Amino acid sequence: MKRTLALLRVALRSNFGLTLVRHRLLVEKRDRWMVPLILLGVAGFVPLVLAYIEFLKFMFDALQPAGQETTVLTLAILAGQLLVLIFGLYYVLSVFYFSRDLEFLVSLPVRPSEVMLSKFAVILVNEYLTTALIVIPAFVVFGLLAKRGPDYWVLAALVFLLLPVIPIALAGLLIVGMMRVVNVSRKKDFFILAGSLVLLAAALLAQFSLARTRDMGEVMSLFTARDGLVQVVGAKFPPCIWASRLLGEGLTVRGLGFLALFGGGSVVLLLLLMGIAERLFYRGLVGLGERAAGRRRLSKADLGARISAGRRPVRAVFGREWRLMNRTPLFLLNGIMSVVLVPVILLLALKAGDASGPLLALRSFGTMDAATEILIAAVFFTVCGTLNGTASSTYSREGRQFWLSKVIPVSPAQQTLGKFLHSYLVAALGTVAGAAVSVVLFRLGAGRLVPAILLSLIGGVFFSALSMTVDLARPLLKWMNPQKAIKQNLNVLIALALEIGLLFVLGYLIKAVRSAGLDGSGLIVAVFALLALLSAASLAFLFRFAEKRYPLIAA
Amino acid sequence: MIELQDVSKSYNKGAVRAVDRLTLTVRPGEIFGFLGPNGAGKTTTIKMIVGILKPDAGRILVDGKDNQREALATKAVTAYVPDEPEIYERLTGLEYLNFIGDVYGVAKKDRLERIERWLEAFELQRAVGDPIQTYSHGMRQKIVLTGALLVEPRTFVLDEPMVGLDPRSAHQLKEAMRAHCDKGGTLFFSTHVMEVAERLCDRIGIIHHGRLAAEGTLDELRRQAKDTASLENIFLQLTEK
Repeated sequence: MKRTLALLRVALRSNFGLTLVRHRLLVEKRDRWMVPLILLGVAGFVPLVLAYIEFLKFMFDALQPAGQETTVLTLAILAGQLLVLIFGLYYVLSVFYFSRDLEFLVSLPVRPSEVMLSKFAVILVNEYLTTALIVIPAFVVFGLLAKRGPDYWVLAALVFLLLPVIPIALAGLLIVGMMRVVNVSRKKDFFILAGSLVLLAAALLAQFSLARTRDMGEVMSLFTARDGLVQVVGAKFPPCIWASRLLGEGLTVRGLGFLALFGGGSVVLLLLLMGIAERLFYRGLVGLGERAAGRRRLSKADLGARISAGRRPVRAVFGREWRLMNRTPLFLLNGIMSVVLVPVILLLALKAGDASGPLLALRSFGTMDAATEILIAAVFFTVCGTLNGTASSTYSREGRQFWLSKVIPVSPAQQTLGKFLHSYLVAALGTVAGAAVSVVLFRLGAGRLVPAILLSLIGGVFFSALSMTVDLARPLLKWMNPQKAIKQNLNVLIALALEIGLLFVLGYLIKAVRSAGLDGSGLIVAVFALLALLSAASLAFLFRFAEKRYPLIAA
Repeated sequence: MIELQDVSKSYNKGAVRAVDRLTLTVRPGEIFGFLGPNGAGKTTTIKMIVGILKPDAGRILVDGKDNQREALATKAVTAYVPDEPEIYERLTGLEYLNFIGDVYGVAKKDRLERIERWLEAFELQRAVGDPIQTYSHGMRQKIVLTGALLVEPRTFVLDEPMVGLDPRSAHQLKEAMRAHCDKGGTLFFSTHVMEVAERLCDRIGIIHHGRLAAEGTLDELRRQAKDTASLENIFLQLTEK
């Protein structure tokens, strides 16, 4: 037990770097200027959270007369758990199998299940941060509007703490099983990528089968039965029914029964994972770093053909970025794969009738004026292309190899141009994916498609440059696990919040300009000009900032 | 030629002084060995010479040019090999060498000739087409060295280059180091292996607590230390506190 606790303590400390943060802020007195910037980034989410709270209140008021208000809890719990399950797949994969400390941990006299438990704890704490934004507002809105007593708040805290356990354990079981098979293969990277995509597709299908559209009669019958909606929403993932019923019933006999089901289910699945870990974890892990090497001697002719004739440095940097991103499964999944997956996920949500906000507006294509449709489509394409971590982790991804970028005789501005071209190519791919989806599903005509694509492409320059600036300000170079460089990188979150915040600001600005009388093609040209100006300014700033910042980054 | 003029570097806002007013000159045609206990400031000094770290005070000149004001010009004539061969694992050895050739602007003909020569010398011909992640520590060290030798710079800066090398490769490297300086090049390297420093270096500097404790040829060091025995004894005597 002492040994397990020691492992847990070290895992949490090294993962969340609290000691390092404390040392940097209080002892070295570095990075203090980052604190307000981080707060600003977090503030970018405030409008979203406020809108979400309003939505929850509206939902509660609408469902209460039919006795269906518990659905607010069920939906939030389900959303939280599915989010953990779907995105948790990559996360579990990277933490369980690609952390650099694993080689060291394997050599220690500890059981595989203890190592896995320490990794499980790291994921659990991270998932609290992920699910908090979705679940806590729902719990608070429900608790206040339903005027619940103290027992509700205690149970709500308990449910929140247990909520990620079942999905992480499920993701863990799937990944441990997959890696046991992959580790016998010679093409490990390929199978890791393919296996992850299959698991992701299965999880997505499961999610969207839950949200399939029903006919009117069916919907009416759901409203007439008590908790009918809860049953339907949670039917395919019972733990979320148990949790919401537990909160709905409180400390009654029935409530305690649901507590036993929810709590017991969590414990049983965790124990099952530990049991499986004891048998399979190390078999999937040991030797994973080994790669099949051809060790074929290259002939002089082969060597001559494969030696480059001398590319320009910007092209060399671009080529390096492209290869390193695409050959690291976790970078690929979070970068290029996500620009293809985001439009697909958004569309599946749309098809399933699970959409809100601008997405819902996409469904009304063909009924709005041209300028509105062009602007909405442009926002959709931009989001598809730039809401991923490619640009905002471009310096961080270099990690411990950043020393090379500091010693080569290529100016920081030129290196940054190579990196920008790579990030922008990924963003442009997202624009193309979004555009393709819009054409196929919404029959967006060329007259609206082309201006929307142009707006998105010029907007992509601005948002890519902005995201790169955020990462350049404080690159995360000392990571042990590639997931940290991209998925758990605070820079990615800050850039994301900034982009969402700026899109909101742009939206309000456009609304104001429209009410002042500028509309139609004049408005589109004005937005394009504004984005072009922002793009030029942000790129110029980025190159200058790179020249100033590179010499100060310790590698 | 490398010149360090009153160079200082501190960490933790001045609480830890890693290098303290260091002044030394490495002349063309000279192999300069940089010795010192762990934490004495060797790697910090080397990182400042190649531009990875910025000095808090003082100037560093490479081939007469300030490495902060004319950073690109000094980097173009310098090749660096770090103590840990941390390089792009997902590239093949050849892709890495091509990247280095591209950014240093090495012509294709020279590139082919040098890559062939050094792959042969370090016995890497069979591995060069494979991803670097399949390499052992020693092979990684050799591919980094091949990248540095491919550039044929005027100045080499090597941080413990012999670590992880097999005896044949270490011998090849020592030969290359000597040949480079015989042609008028400059070489600055750190090592913990006294025998290597004793046999290879034209001059030696010993750094202790961030300061240059001694500097000169082996004979000069012996006179300074009042000891005619080995470099190891001189080192121990100069760094005992």
